[in-house]
Amino acid sequence: MSFDAHRDAKMYHMEKRERHSTPAKKRRTTLSLPAGSLSHAARITRARKVSLSTVIAEALSDGLQRHLAAERGEQILRAYKTAFAGLSDVEMSLVDGVILEPKARK
Amino acid sequence: MTEYLSRHPVHVSAVTVLERVRGYGLLWHRAAEAKRRRLEAMRIAYLSGLGQVWPIDRPTAVVSGEIMAMLPDPPTPPRRSHQLAESRQERLARWRFDAIIAATALVAQMPLIHNAADFESIRSGIERSPERFPRLGPLELVRCTALV
Repeated sequence: MSFDAHRDAKMYHMEKRERHSTPAKKRRTTLSLPAGSLSHAARITRARKVSLSTVIAEALSDGLQRHLAAERGEQILRAYKTAFAGLSDVEMSLVDGVILEPKARK
Repeated sequence: MTEYLSRHPVHVSAVTVLERVRGYGLLWHRAAEAKRRRLEAMRIAYLSGLGQVWPIDRPTAVVSGEIMAMLPDPPTPPRRSHQLAESRQERLARWRFDAIIAATALVAQMPLIHNAADFESIRSGIERSPERFPRLGPLELVRCTALV
């Protein structure tokens, strides 16, 4: 039995703030982006009075975080498949913490 | 499940790790040499997929004790199959483990992913006695019949 955390979302945002507080090393590049996404980003740029690079960098960072989380999820699932695949019902019970013994003869 | 895991990091109670490792250990001791290697690979795979493991700290111990006092007896009988049965002693031990797992989730304010109806009893018990669990609860439960 496992549990997951919404609290991690808070920790993630805290880490994100910390990450953003130290200036990251930047590199110039050229990208071809969908026109719709670019117009959307430009609207955000004007509303927040920040550069287009900032908006694209934030969107990219969030997208990459989601990608990494999905990869981690798949890794965990693969590990679980290896950990539990091929166990009989009785063996799975044992791994679930249920210890079954032969019934005592009357 | 994959989608859920991609959105939520999985945390585990130390008690869950204990139960599973004990299970692998018991299987290993009972198995022949050839199967032991496979069981060890399975145990290592399980441990490699663990997220954060939560210890039984002071608040968890306090809340676990409250749950055990509120619900001293397991809500369901020992498990049985065709020729096998769980002893009353083992059933009680498992129930107490479940109380610690529920307390860990409650203290950490995390939803509890579970595959046993027993946790429903703990959830409703906490709802009936909020004065014993100040600033805690409700216990949020997510039923999951199979992990994979």
